[in-house]
Amino acid sequence: MTPRKTTKHLWQLPDSAVLPEEQYLRRREFLRIVGLGLVGSALFADSLPAATTGFPDSSNPSFKLDGVKLTSEDSVTSYNNFYEWGFGKEEPKELSNKGWKTEPWTLEIGGLCRNPRKIEVNDLVKLVGGIERRNYRHRCVEAWSMVIPWDGFPLAKLIELSKPDASAKFVRFISFLDPDACPGQRSNSLPWPYTEGLTLPEATNELAFVATGLYGKPLRNQNGAPIRLVVPWKYGFKSAKSLVKIEFVTDQPKTTWNELAPDEYGFYANVNPSVDHPRWSQATERVIGGGLFSGRRPTELFNGYAKQVAHLYEGLDLRKNL
Amino acid sequence: MRGSISGRTSDRPFEVKWLTNILARKLFALTVLVGVGIWFLIVPAVSGNLGANPLEKLLHQSGEIAIWTLGAVLSLTPLRVLFPASALVVALNRHRRAVGVTACIYGLLHFGFHILYEGGWDGLVRSLTKPFIWFGLAGLSILIVLTLTSNLWSIRSLGAKNWKRLHRFAYLAAALLIYHQSIAGKGHWHTARWLLFPLLGLQVARIVKTLYTDGFFENWPTPGRKRSGPDHPIQRYYVWPRSEAGTISAEQRLRLRPIAPCHLPRIIDGPE
Repeated sequence: MTPRKTTKHLWQLPDSAVLPEEQYLRRREFLRIVGLGLVGSALFADSLPAATTGFPDSSNPSFKLDGVKLTSEDSVTSYNNFYEWGFGKEEPKELSNKGWKTEPWTLEIGGLCRNPRKIEVNDLVKLVGGIERRNYRHRCVEAWSMVIPWDGFPLAKLIELSKPDASAKFVRFISFLDPDACPGQRSNSLPWPYTEGLTLPEATNELAFVATGLYGKPLRNQNGAPIRLVVPWKYGFKSAKSLVKIEFVTDQPKTTWNELAPDEYGFYANVNPSVDHPRWSQATERVIGGGLFSGRRPTELFNGYAKQVAHLYEGLDLRKNL
Repeated sequence: MRGSISGRTSDRPFEVKWLTNILARKLFALTVLVGVGIWFLIVPAVSGNLGANPLEKLLHQSGEIAIWTLGAVLSLTPLRVLFPASALVVALNRHRRAVGVTACIYGLLHFGFHILYEGGWDGLVRSLTKPFIWFGLAGLSILIVLTLTSNLWSIRSLGAKNWKRLHRFAYLAAALLIYHQSIAGKGHWHTARWLLFPLLGLQVARIVKTLYTDGFFENWPTPGRKRSGPDHPIQRYYVWPRSEAGTISAEQRLRLRPIAPCHLPRIIDGPE
């Protein structure tokens, strides 16, 4: 029965309706803790530390892309292909920030080289002498593009320190494997862990970059924290995220998308407007950040980096060697 | 006599009257069919929730709505065959034409977004070199033809039989479009299976039941259609205009079939 029926007036509550003092106090305590938690999560949301060493860095004037508009930080950190977290573009941002730890993070460098090592990412940044900022064009195989200010160091520096053997012809990049943390790896949609590869001359090219941040901040989880590859003249899927191992090998490594659909995703995967994907043209690209009627931009050979990388492919038929 | 199938009786086993009354309303169908578009296309567009690549989002959402709407209309007939006594199923079947036409409209919208996404004429022409696009266009073309003939005038001028044959192409359209959808993403069959398997399951169940009521399994294990006399069970499902009851021969009677769309089986006083 409700108290109202046993009392004369609405304000005359029976004793049974009164909360005991200790329960009242426990409730206060509970509210305080929850309140603090909410404030805390608001303060630290989306800023889980990755590799924090080296910030703030300064821009490398050779890679500024003058006159090119950067893609907004919001777009870069909310529109991601990171299948470890799901097929959707928004899923990585949502799902990778639910307690997935990217610090501390150990990177293993091994295979055919004189200086193999396992090293914490912050220590690696110190070892290679800090980080710099470069603005790179980013062209996805799905025919959209961004311009991203990366923070990191040239891959060539890391390779120099590792001193690869003469028999090393390729470099293999392996992403993390943690099915407990990420839902995508619990399905057999792709052969995990995600693996990519470059030839040694490609890997030592001045453009090949190892990023630990973007927009002057440590990499967000959805962008491949704490350390990832950036190969701006190739389609985005070549730039493997959240690396745990870099290996020097003799034979061309098997790479994830190439294994899955060799006619759609080549090993080289150089950006090339005259070689179409089987399902869509690569002649043009949609620039992220444009409106509904913004039209498309013509795609450039090697994503506009022909001057720096065209010599790597002299004598190679780019139509056959996708 | 086992319950008559006219839309007005209330001796159905699964009837929930108020729900049936709502589901049977044109307003209900309209609200759902238009509401889906408002919810998944217009609301996110107005509130700025289309993400970093808004046109891609609209393209994908409209395609998803179109193919699921097509899936919905294709599941209505099998459901009616499987559960002829369910008032809910009968009520939903009233909206077959509306649902089908809506699938076509969302398909056209999807194509419109495709043109925008490709950046106009040149991009559209480039996209037309891809088989992936052909499948979508072929499926959409079928839906357009079916939409244009979704009226009484077309049924009359084609004749019920021809009209029905023509509208069986909806199944071909569904096959083409499910394939189109399945290869659209990198995950291939991961997305399509949610639509394909339920639709296939319903069709298989429907065919088995039709064969069963036709007496196909009566001589099991050497099956074959057996059409016996006037007390054969299948007659309960034929449309049989009341005015002609008793005026046609048994042979003519066997040729009568329920005709689509939107005709509720009007009843049948089949011989007891």
